[in-house]
Amino acid sequence: MADRVRVRGVTIHRPIIYGNVAVVLAPEEKALLPPNLSDHTHRWTVAVRSAASPPDSNTVGGADDLSYFLKRVTFKLHETYPNPSRSIDKPPFEVTETGWGEFEVQIRLNFVTESGEKGITCYHHIKLHPWTLNPEEALNPNLELAAKLGPVHSWQYDEVVFNDPFQNFLNILVSHAPTALPKTKRKPVPFHVTTLTQEAIEVAKGAGAPEFTQEMEKEEGERIEQAKKQVIAEQDKWRAMLIEKEKELEKLQKLIAEQQAT
Amino acid sequence: MAGPSASDVRAALSLGEPSSSTPPHASATPLARKPSLRKPEGMPRELYQLIGPSAPTLIEQFAKPQLKQKPNLGSGGGAGQDGNAVAGSSKVKWEWRTFKNGARSDGLKLSHWVKADTDPNADYPFAKYNISTNSYVYSQDEYTRLLEDKEWTKEETDYLFELAREYDGRFYVIGDRYDFPNGSHRSLEDLKDRYYSVCRKLIRNRPWGGDEASKNQLLSSFQFDKDREVTRKQYVASLMNRTPEQIAEEESLYIELKRLEQRERRFKKDRDELLRTMLGIESGLADIPDEDGLSASASNNNLSISLSTSGLSIDTSNKKRKKGNGDVETPISATPSSSSVIQLSQPQKKQQSAKSAAYDAAQCIVRTDVPSNASSNKSAHTPVTLRSFKIPFIKSSNQQKVTQLLAELKISNQRLVMPTRDNLAKLEGLMEAANALIDTKKLVDKVEMDLNVARARLGMAVEGGEADAAPAGGSASASGAGGQAGVETQTPGAMDVDEDAEGEQEDPVDASGRGQSVVSTRSTRSRKQARRSMSISSVDTAATGAGNKKRKR
Repeated sequence: MADRVRVRGVTIHRPIIYGNVAVVLAPEEKALLPPNLSDHTHRWTVAVRSAASPPDSNTVGGADDLSYFLKRVTFKLHETYPNPSRSIDKPPFEVTETGWGEFEVQIRLNFVTESGEKGITCYHHIKLHPWTLNPEEALNPNLELAAKLGPVHSWQYDEVVFNDPFQNFLNILVSHAPTALPKTKRKPVPFHVTTLTQEAIEVAKGAGAPEFTQEMEKEEGERIEQAKKQVIAEQDKWRAMLIEKEKELEKLQKLIAEQQAT
Repeated sequence: MAGPSASDVRAALSLGEPSSSTPPHASATPLARKPSLRKPEGMPRELYQLIGPSAPTLIEQFAKPQLKQKPNLGSGGGAGQDGNAVAGSSKVKWEWRTFKNGARSDGLKLSHWVKADTDPNADYPFAKYNISTNSYVYSQDEYTRLLEDKEWTKEETDYLFELAREYDGRFYVIGDRYDFPNGSHRSLEDLKDRYYSVCRKLIRNRPWGGDEASKNQLLSSFQFDKDREVTRKQYVASLMNRTPEQIAEEESLYIELKRLEQRERRFKKDRDELLRTMLGIESGLADIPDEDGLSASASNNNLSISLSTSGLSIDTSNKKRKKGNGDVETPISATPSSSSVIQLSQPQKKQQSAKSAAYDAAQCIVRTDVPSNASSNKSAHTPVTLRSFKIPFIKSSNQQKVTQLLAELKISNQRLVMPTRDNLAKLEGLMEAANALIDTKKLVDKVEMDLNVARARLGMAVEGGEADAAPAGGSASASGAGGQAGVETQTPGAMDVDEDAEGEQEDPVDASGRGQSVVSTRSTRSRKQARRSMSISSVDTAATGAGNKKRKR
């Protein structure tokens, strides 16, 4: 029973990613589809994986087996799919399907019994078409061009945070240290497609899958810091202005008082 | 007999012969003859003989001191010296030249001597030493929120900050000049305490651009403990005012204490020895400190250091104490066992944490201090979450504006690419800063409105009082303010843009443009024109002004 003691003051997290990869179906693949699915254009895989990518592979993430803390992952697909609620009890925690449209998948993570935790839910919008960071400049390449661009990736990094874990669960977690994210980018591909130039296509071709790096985290952190500095500089300016105006107001009010007195 | 000579002294003290190559007698004989010739004046013969063979070096010291060679200042005269003649060929010319001191704001022209070959347009090299301290200012809102103090009014605080700014934070000057009308007496410590506490509060509560460490560093530079400072000064004063009797008494007490301790130690040693020889055991009686006296000497040194830094001349007793440290104990370390335990355990703990930090990082473990009163019931437990669920959320009514502002900075407050702990903390900081910025902007708008109302009222008042020639000072400043009001009302579009772009964060053009136009109206327009614009402003704000007019008349 000593194992069932919560270790106070300890917060432990495990980096995960969830998201999807999609490829345009080749004509011969399309021919193999049953007639009622003939309008499907893409094959996609939605998955929950560990954040780090295995070396020399074309998958995004998945360097570690997450089944030491994940008991079951349930993907709730669009209702038009047959039995849309797909529960996966052992790794890899992923569902592969064909389809023609993007939709939102509900992903429910259930944890091993040792954790004593309830499941948590997150959502992912399945991306089939090349996308950009800025939704306004959406590019809608036709299927042939999109096929040339290679697989479309859309992944979200996240961390599963356990607070005050039970001792035995903590032991389990600690015996499975997560693979650290690579410090810098090893592959030139970004997660999104920025332009549809020939160059971008060349890069996308055969460069493999994108991956999450520590560099990305640092870069984002710096971006936020930068923005904060800007905001604070602005704040200082406005504060100075405010103080100046207050002084002026005070002066005017004194004047008014004087004039009313006369 | 001619007194004892150096060799006699050596013989008496059974020292070896001096390490000179010549035999002692050979050197002694010429010395014995010569002294009358070489003995410097004013030195007794006996003493001179005692000095012995090393005398010549001493004589040299008595010789006329040689001065340093005169530096060649490049005077054209050549001065007759050979070395200077060479240097003199490359004459250095000096010029009396006016210079501009970049540190001056009044543009006063002064002159100084400079080498002719220096660049006449170069900056005044000493201008860089004119550094102004970063003085803090606060808005009305900040004052009411953070800085209220029942001892101080806002006016007096303003006055203090004004003085601090004027005298660059030199508190002795500030304390000397401090004379707030109808204010209570303030000691130097009162002033410092108020000033530093206000600065600390401002730093703590304003959004901070850097990291925590630099903030703490800045905060600690504004640390001021009034009570301690007062006690320190009292202590120093009492130390200065001791009578010789008191010093002597202190001294004797101190020596007495040393003696007692020494005796105790000796007793302990004897007891240990006795136990060891009689029973063959180590006595477990470790209640008396060992002789290392490390902590004692350290603390004592600290004491003397603190004394010397506070500008005191340390009297002889202190010197003796220092000397005594090596072998005597002070009562400060009377309980060394506990203190040494603490000292030992702390570094160990630190080492451990340093070792496990890498482990924790690899395992993604964050340890926090558990509050001791934490209840172990289930409800207190925070269930498992995804990190991104913890993305900060601004609850105030500014939420939309904050989102807008962040969007302009190309940061989404809904989603991060890498929602790690650090990044979330940073995002929270950013959002707090943004929230504060928007609050400030709101306040600016409010004050702006109040200003406009005030100007409108004043404009009317001036207009009404124009016939009976308002007091010169009042009208002058009023016209300046009126001119500004006119500009404001003439360019309502600019204001609208400003207000629309609440989230807009770069509008220096707007701000500076407004400032410029104000300046230009004040400088170029005639006063009459300014008056006219004043009347325009009063017409524009007739809605607010009319009521006043009626009430006034």
